[in-house]
Amino acid sequence: MAEESDQQTTMPKSFPVKPKLKPTSRKSTTTPESKYWRSFKSPDPQNPKKLISSITSLSFSPAAPHDFAATHSATVSIFSAATLEHKSTLSAFTDTATSASYRSDGRLLAAGSYSGKIQVFKTRSILRHLRSHTRPVHFVKYPLADKLHLYSGGDDSIVKYWDVVTETVVSDLIGHKDYVRCGDGCPASDDMFVTGSYDHGIRVWDVRVSRASSVMEVNHGKPVEDVIYLPSGGLIATAGGNTVKIWDVIGGGRLVYSMESHNKTVTSICVGKVGREGGEENRILSVSLDGYMKVFDYSRFKITHSMRFPTALLSIAFSPDSSTRVIGSSNGVLYAGKRSVKENVGSEVAEETKKRALRPSYFRYFHRSQNEKPSEGDYLIMRKKKVKLTEHDKLLKKFRHKEALVSALRGKNPGSVVAVMEELVARKKLLKCVQNLETEEELGLLLGFLQRYMTVPRYAGLLIGFSKKVVEMRAEDVSASEALRVHIRNLKRAVEEEVRIQQSLQEIQGIISPLLRIAGRR
Amino acid sequence: MITGGKSFVTAPPAFSNDAKKLLICTGNSVSIFSTSTALQITELEGHTAAVTSVIVVPATTPAGKILCYCWTASLDGTIRYWDFSVPESIKTIDIRFPIHSMVIPGLLGKLSGGNKKPLDLFAYVSAEAANKQKKEPTVSDGQVKKKQRNALGGQILKCNLTESHLVAGATLAETPKPEFITISPSGEYIGIQEKRKLRIWEVPGKDSERASYKKIRLHHTKSFTALAFHPTERIIAAGDTTGRILIWRGFGNRTFSAGVVMDEDERPGVREDDDADSCTTWHWHSAEVKILFFSADGAYLYSGGKEGVLVVWQLDTGKKKFLPRIGSTVFYFTSSPDPSLSSISCGDNRVHLLQMPSMEIMKSISGIKLPGSVPELIKGPCSNLVFDYAAGLVAIPSESYCIQVFSLFDNREITEVQVCERNHQPGDEVTVVLNLVSLSLDGSLMSTVETRLSEEGIGGLVSLKFWARGPQSKDFSLSTIVYEPHRDAGVSGFAFHPTRRMAVSSSTGGEFKIWVSNYKIQQRDQKFQNTGWTCHAIGSYKKKPMTAVAFSFDGSVLAVAAAMVITLWDPEKNVLVAVIGESLEPIVSLSFIGKSEYLVSASRGSSPQLSVWNMSKLSASWSYKLHTEAVACTHDDSFFAILALLPKSTKLEDSSESILHDVDGSILLFNVGDPVPVATWFVRKAKGGGLAFIHNNPGLSANDTSDGKPAQVLLAYINGDHEYVLFHPHGEQASKHAVTHRESHTELEDSGRYGYASIYGELPEYKLMEDETPKAPLVPSGRPWETIFSGSSHNLPPLPKLCSVFLESLLERRTTVVE
Repeated sequence: MAEESDQQTTMPKSFPVKPKLKPTSRKSTTTPESKYWRSFKSPDPQNPKKLISSITSLSFSPAAPHDFAATHSATVSIFSAATLEHKSTLSAFTDTATSASYRSDGRLLAAGSYSGKIQVFKTRSILRHLRSHTRPVHFVKYPLADKLHLYSGGDDSIVKYWDVVTETVVSDLIGHKDYVRCGDGCPASDDMFVTGSYDHGIRVWDVRVSRASSVMEVNHGKPVEDVIYLPSGGLIATAGGNTVKIWDVIGGGRLVYSMESHNKTVTSICVGKVGREGGEENRILSVSLDGYMKVFDYSRFKITHSMRFPTALLSIAFSPDSSTRVIGSSNGVLYAGKRSVKENVGSEVAEETKKRALRPSYFRYFHRSQNEKPSEGDYLIMRKKKVKLTEHDKLLKKFRHKEALVSALRGKNPGSVVAVMEELVARKKLLKCVQNLETEEELGLLLGFLQRYMTVPRYAGLLIGFSKKVVEMRAEDVSASEALRVHIRNLKRAVEEEVRIQQSLQEIQGIISPLLRIAGRR
Repeated sequence: MITGGKSFVTAPPAFSNDAKKLLICTGNSVSIFSTSTALQITELEGHTAAVTSVIVVPATTPAGKILCYCWTASLDGTIRYWDFSVPESIKTIDIRFPIHSMVIPGLLGKLSGGNKKPLDLFAYVSAEAANKQKKEPTVSDGQVKKKQRNALGGQILKCNLTESHLVAGATLAETPKPEFITISPSGEYIGIQEKRKLRIWEVPGKDSERASYKKIRLHHTKSFTALAFHPTERIIAAGDTTGRILIWRGFGNRTFSAGVVMDEDERPGVREDDDADSCTTWHWHSAEVKILFFSADGAYLYSGGKEGVLVVWQLDTGKKKFLPRIGSTVFYFTSSPDPSLSSISCGDNRVHLLQMPSMEIMKSISGIKLPGSVPELIKGPCSNLVFDYAAGLVAIPSESYCIQVFSLFDNREITEVQVCERNHQPGDEVTVVLNLVSLSLDGSLMSTVETRLSEEGIGGLVSLKFWARGPQSKDFSLSTIVYEPHRDAGVSGFAFHPTRRMAVSSSTGGEFKIWVSNYKIQQRDQKFQNTGWTCHAIGSYKKKPMTAVAFSFDGSVLAVAAAMVITLWDPEKNVLVAVIGESLEPIVSLSFIGKSEYLVSASRGSSPQLSVWNMSKLSASWSYKLHTEAVACTHDDSFFAILALLPKSTKLEDSSESILHDVDGSILLFNVGDPVPVATWFVRKAKGGGLAFIHNNPGLSANDTSDGKPAQVLLAYINGDHEYVLFHPHGEQASKHAVTHRESHTELEDSGRYGYASIYGELPEYKLMEDETPKAPLVPSGRPWETIFSGSSHNLPPLPKLCSVFLESLLERRTTVVE
């Protein structure tokens, strides 16, 4: 069978004239995952949303439609997740607002501020004022399902557990020795949460067991900027300095992995999801002052994607339906990206039409099963690949060399023009073609092409010698026409430019080569 | 000893009567190929010189289609009669003249008189007339005067095949050189083209030894190159060197049929008093017409020439149809008894089998590629042959920018690699040349160097390409292209590292480059896509042009010839280790001899030299003044062989030169320590030849273990015409048996149908009705008429069947009494 098919390949072939291959970089960045992360597109990438000052926190509403709140200066701005447009502003703050947090049903929003006051909002109206912190509050968080309580932490290094309804502190959790800047509630239990502080410690608290001291403490080694529970509830991820560390909470606070790929302090981390619905995988998204967002696969301990932003980044959030990703920067620019999710509305309609039996009265009857896909065991007989012939290929096949050259020149691709020229050289017809270029326009096309691409290094080997020949051969025609003289002037300028470049390159070479010689001697 | 690599296109092939076999003249034998698989089935061996004609005895009856008899004629002066199904020679006729062409009109003529005793069969042969044969007395008074002239080299003779002798005195013509005889499909006329005239004879209907011939001549201003007769009408077509096709209608009306002589004025296009009614000219071919052929019904004329295009002319209208891009000169067109199959033989040693009305190429029988012409502009090595030592393959660059991988053991093409994606026009001047090919030791890597010649200094380009093939596949795929590997200087030599993925190329520009492939990536991803080759190091020695490179057997030493001297390098660190030698001419070939400590170098030119260098002493061991064409080294032993061209002066000094005529080279087998050759063979056409040691295939040498180590290696020699021979270099006569032929491809017995059957399928065999009807429902009973007609009508057996049963049942049955 194989021999037979091999014999078949001795058919007459025809090859189109193709440009020379370019070197390709060995690194290909288009893994499916990086494609996924790039698919979060901003509706208006040129003008991202600019808020007043640095965005200190971002949080998504747990309930659909998953609006998100951004805290910046003394306001909390609420954005629609569907359109990424600004919806409303909460500005009843006397000082800088921090750490907005939605309740589990998405109806209430709690936010702290530098004044030490925590406020609970329902849309615009303030429902509760929680006053107990004496120093700025940087961390306010609703538990995952509990609607009645709140955690908060402030620069007074006290973590407080609040009863929201009565506006009273249930318990003061003392243990941290420096500012408490972050924390997260356990996804498995509403009574447990974790906080991180500038004293390098991360403490796990359980409000049921002990009212005064933490259940567990781990040391990050750097002031902790952010801490999150990973969705299983058994692992926590902490950010501090330029590292992100993963700890096993159930295993007694064992360090699982330390990810050090940011160059500057990691300011915020959150959990992102990759993949289709059902088969989702979790990733840690981290942003840092170096302007990078990195996606970390903590099951394989590998950075799977990395993305650069122009400014230092302060906060990141990922929507629960994994359709939106927002990043807040230090200069107040909000980088919001939305992924287009395929909607399942059309499928029902399509199914209905499928059921209808096709009749010969309908044109689709005659097309039925024509785009059937092959099943697993089918033996595929491929249709022969059609050779695509462009216009200059067809002309070359007819030995109309000058027309082929002109048609390639009219096209926009310099590579194919050079390929046609090379083919003409192989037929020893290139100079004849130049002789035969009749009108001013055709010659002008050629001169214009030469002027533009003559000094491109990839084509220079052929084109510099060729331009010289062209100018020599058609000197009389050029001097007769004003338009062509303009081309020649441009050509001259290009040549002068190239000579200058070559000279400066030679100077550089003169500087470098003795150094290399010395280096080689050692 | 295995021979092969013969040209398939020296003589027109012939189809067998059932069109399942194609008989191709290949050197001294006739190879028979199956048309369904395009593989060789068998071979007719017996001639001692090249076979020039093969004629299959046509079948006169449908039953005769299975008969497989053929006549062959050869340059050894014999005509043989074969049964090619067996295959064996039945009859041999020695006419003592080298035969260049033979036709047998008697086979084609319709045998009308069945009651008479069968007529003798006559063949007309175009033979080379040696000088001494001229003195023979001839009876034919018309030819006597011409006999006196000794310059004549060819003659048309008549041979009685039934009685196995030449017909005395029946010399039809004498020509300056032996011409190709063309016969009309009906066998009525034979003709030759001789310079600017056609000579045509009418073969008498009842041919006998004393028959006389009517003949005419047709003239033209250009030399004729092809000739064809119309199958039914009196039309003749001839092609000339300028590509014109001339068609004479009604030729020989006066001479042959003594018919109505037309008015002198109404003969358009006919020259002077040539005997024809009209002559028309068609001109499409730009170069000489190589073939002309009328279709069997006479409606179409096929023509082909140097352009590699088969043109089909509609005879009445002159309309054309084409089979373009065959890729090489078309030499012969042969039609088969099957109307849907025919073949064309092409200049690249390939026979294409065509599906007829559509002219699609179904199969190709590929022989070894013939050496192509090389323009003088190319300096340095050109079109070298490289061998795959383990698999017994040879890679041959061909004119159509391909590399053919040819199996020496199987004598057939394995695969073809299109190196340069460019259409090849056979007529064009060669401007793109494959310079260098090299294969790695295991045969999995290949590199090619191609050069595009510049047009008045513009656009020259050298590109180096690396190819790789997977362990299973036989096709090479492109891995890396390097444009201008050594700036604009040409590549003079290339060698792969024997064990690692490393290679070195040398350039006349004065540098060599070491290339490496990033093998690690390949291992991790299990892909071949990522195996790019990159330059690892560049070296040069006193800016001298580098002319040849070689790795030692373990790859630890790299020898680079820098013009006259040999430089030794550490390829890993790119450090010059030593410089040895000083030859008079630039060294063109370097090779390490197996695992020994010796290196052999060869230089050509006015003072050629073959030198053997000792690596441990870094000095010359011994040397000869020999023009070495090729050097081959064994990989295990300390033997090496060279192919040396004999100088012109020494050629004739030997008295035994008459035996060794046109010997121009010799193969010398050396042991490294000893300057006296172990063995010597004289060969022909050594110029452009190749030499290599080939590992005898394990399958072949299984019964050969007694000979020990040397028998594992065969020496392969390919001559300038790409004919090759494989033999044991330490050969006794017995070793001929060590290598067995493997060419026994069994014929694929498919139920090939053609003609009516291929279109409409087999006709159902007509059988008597009683076979078709099942016997079961007709249980004989006493009163069958009660049962046989019962049941619905479509279940009933056919009426004739029922009728006989019914009538039978009506008759009274006589019980036979058994005594």
